[in-house]
Amino acid sequence: MPIRVSLDKILMERRMSLTELADRVGVTIANLSILKTGKARAVRFSTLSALCRELDCQPGDLLVYQPGPAEEGEEEG
Amino acid sequence: MRALGPGSVSSFLKLVLDVAYAAMLAGVAAALLMLLAAILFAFNPGLLANVHLPEAERFTDQAPLVVGGLVVVGAYMTGVLIILGALRRIFSTLTAGDPFRPQNVSRLRAIGLALAALELERYAVWGVSAWLPAVDDIRPGFSLTGWFSVLVVFVLAEVFREGARLRREAELTI
Repeated sequence: MPIRVSLDKILMERRMSLTELADRVGVTIANLSILKTGKARAVRFSTLSALCRELDCQPGDLLVYQPGPAEEGEEEG
Repeated sequence: MRALGPGSVSSFLKLVLDVAYAAMLAGVAAALLMLLAAILFAFNPGLLANVHLPEAERFTDQAPLVVGGLVVVGAYMTGVLIILGALRRIFSTLTAGDPFRPQNVSRLRAIGLALAALELERYAVWGVSAWLPAVDDIRPGFSLTGWFSVLVVFVLAEVFREGARLRREAELTI
């Protein structure tokens, strides 16, 4: 997946833990971990807006496009 | 009517599948035992003298035919058993609330292949019986219903494959 989630960096800048963010956004830590480790296939607008609200950032700060070779099991189209 | 749980259609279907599976398992075991006995008597005709069986003499003449018939019946029942076993496993995933698993795709494909094998077995039986003068009650016939069932099952397998992919994607949607 060429979309990278820079949640780690923003959390560090905000000095916020993943557990605290999960509580504020209303998403489980397990799901937030999937997002943080780049395993997520899609993000709901509602989740994205809640993340932006709590981290006081823009979607572009969270998501970065980095083209590269397709990962194993990834389908085109 | 409820979809799952006691009194639902699925609980009735589960009961039917369980009963059919148990009956077919017993049938396959009985066919296997009869086959073993037939092979034993076919190779040791002297044993028949010690056993009081009606039409024992006829068996001595037609031993290869009886053994062949039992092999055909055993193979047919095994095919049905494979289908029922796969259906039961698919059904267990449904009652667990998660039928769109990748394993169910291969189970459905196995059912399709087993159905196709059963159809081919029928043709093989007709072909062989045409050469046997002792068998005259098996009439050849081509029915599209069997192949239509194979087609339906393979289409369903593809539907399940897409369902499994969508489920995986939904799981990884945050």
